[in-house]
Amino acid sequence: MSNVNVTTFTIVVVLFLIVTGAGFAAARWRRPQNMMHLDEWGLGGRGFGTFITWFLLGGDLYTAYTFIAVPALVFGSGSIGFYAVAYTIMVFPIVFIFLPRLWSVSRVHGYITPADFIRGRYGSRGLALASAFTGILALMPYIALQLVGIQAVLTVMGVGASSTNTFVKDLPLFVAFLVLAIFTYVSGLRAPALIAFIKDTLIYLFVIVAVFYIPTRLGGWGHIFDVAQTHFASISPTTKKPIGTFIPTSKSIGSTRFDFASLALGSAVALFLYPHAITGTLAAKRRSTVSRNLIYLPLYSVLLALIALFGYMAVADPVTAANVKKAGNSQLAVPYLFQHMFPSWFTGIAFAGIIIGALVPAAIMSIAAANLFTKNIFTEFFKPDASPELQTKMSRWASLVVKLGALLFAIELPHTFSINLQLLGGIWILQLGPMLIGGLFTRWFHRWALLTGWLAGMVFGTLAAYNVSNATALHWAASSDIEFGHTIYIGLSAVVLNLVIAVVLTLILRAARVPEGTDETLPEQYTADPEQAPAPAPAAVGATP
Amino acid sequence: MTQATASGRRSAIAAHPLLSAGIAILIAADIFFALYTPIYARLTPKLGDFPFFYWYLLIFMPVTSVALWLATVLQKRLEGNREAQ
Repeated sequence: MSNVNVTTFTIVVVLFLIVTGAGFAAARWRRPQNMMHLDEWGLGGRGFGTFITWFLLGGDLYTAYTFIAVPALVFGSGSIGFYAVAYTIMVFPIVFIFLPRLWSVSRVHGYITPADFIRGRYGSRGLALASAFTGILALMPYIALQLVGIQAVLTVMGVGASSTNTFVKDLPLFVAFLVLAIFTYVSGLRAPALIAFIKDTLIYLFVIVAVFYIPTRLGGWGHIFDVAQTHFASISPTTKKPIGTFIPTSKSIGSTRFDFASLALGSAVALFLYPHAITGTLAAKRRSTVSRNLIYLPLYSVLLALIALFGYMAVADPVTAANVKKAGNSQLAVPYLFQHMFPSWFTGIAFAGIIIGALVPAAIMSIAAANLFTKNIFTEFFKPDASPELQTKMSRWASLVVKLGALLFAIELPHTFSINLQLLGGIWILQLGPMLIGGLFTRWFHRWALLTGWLAGMVFGTLAAYNVSNATALHWAASSDIEFGHTIYIGLSAVVLNLVIAVVLTLILRAARVPEGTDETLPEQYTADPEQAPAPAPAAVGATP
Repeated sequence: MTQATASGRRSAIAAHPLLSAGIAILIAADIFFALYTPIYARLTPKLGDFPFFYWYLLIFMPVTSVALWLATVLQKRLEGNREAQ
């Protein structure tokens, strides 16, 4: 702890304490009469208006991925990292097509998780189990990415980093995580919803200051772009190829344009298949709350684009670039940049913003995964008569277990580019596309066809990602590989395989008249806009009029 | 009941082909112009110090907001007409 800056450290700790207090106080915010119900613990009472939903979804979607992983990729490889910007443009028009329908049908039937919908739509427990399993699995690396983000900030702060003992080294991370785990346990979705306000204020503050201030220190935007362009065109001594690209290229070998587009499209379709994004959506009060948010959320993406440019600022600042190179970890690019550019008190604000910015989505993700486990695995297969109270208790414990699982991911997988953690989750979650998005529009797909397609996509995607190697890692080195002569995001090629199998098998199974299962939803329920949240389940303890 | 509502929706789209097409075009264009990289994977023309690739992506964000706002307005009209029928 010799090189810890006291001012920075104090500000981070103070802000962290404020957030912890808010996390516990959140249990009393918009207090329900009966907290022991999944609608309350897991969806905050399903009553958030446009304003709160905007903060909640913003806090949910813009994570350590945005603040650490994207600029790290930009710092290391250049323009390919901007796929994240194209992705956050595309995601809202894509989601506009299906998300309001999911909100409506879930509100009418009281669905809490995406797997609830799958079960109701296809009358298939197996398919619902597959989707719940996929959701939980895909969230693990995504939560792990949040941990890696926190770790990056702590490393640059010098907290614990000087120790060689793994436990002492990661102790601050464990403390942050424990606090997160406890307030999630107590307050449920209300905690991240309330903390999201603090998070967004801090982040807007430091991003706007950084965007206007740092270029003045680095000789202007023109200089930053010039340095980046020269840097990425230079030849790497190890691979004998350019270090990166400044503009996506269309060369026959190493074309990054196709990779760029496939990563952007795959990520955009994947985002609202993630259980945590759906949790944030289902907590909204009205259908119009959802569609209105799709109009306002792109404004948040402007931040992401600006944050991505921090990667170039880090390239253009010799001190930061040298620090990152010395540490051999490009995740440290943004924290080092801030530390070198800002006075230490402002660095503290920025660092606290990043840490809190990772804790909020991690909380929502663990709640979403816990709801999936409780509703679609525990209650469905082991205890069909579980009371709402027991379900809520189960979910609380499951949220703790999920976080431990994520910790394993964070430790086990290589993090040369932590963005791969998110892209790996994306490969898995995309396999829910045919059953979930397809199911919102048509009952044509056969449930067994969807299940087979899902299995094929999962196996292909996992194996393909496992087999990608590079100079530093033997496995899991990247999330794109080469199919038919093009570098393409594995998630996208896997879901195409998934879809083709689902279509072909549906034709066969329909011809063979294999039973299709019952559909409990009605067409008009997909556009319904009921004002009242569905009454808690009949067995609700202490139900009130 | 179910049948009537479902066909009612279909006829709303058929009765207002311009509104429906408007929504479809707004959404499709929004996706296409971000997806088709050859349009914007270039250095020039620059805007200030920003190469084309970078300012195009930045400006696309507010454009998306406006496009989605328009699409929502059109959709409300479409649904309003449906209820009036």
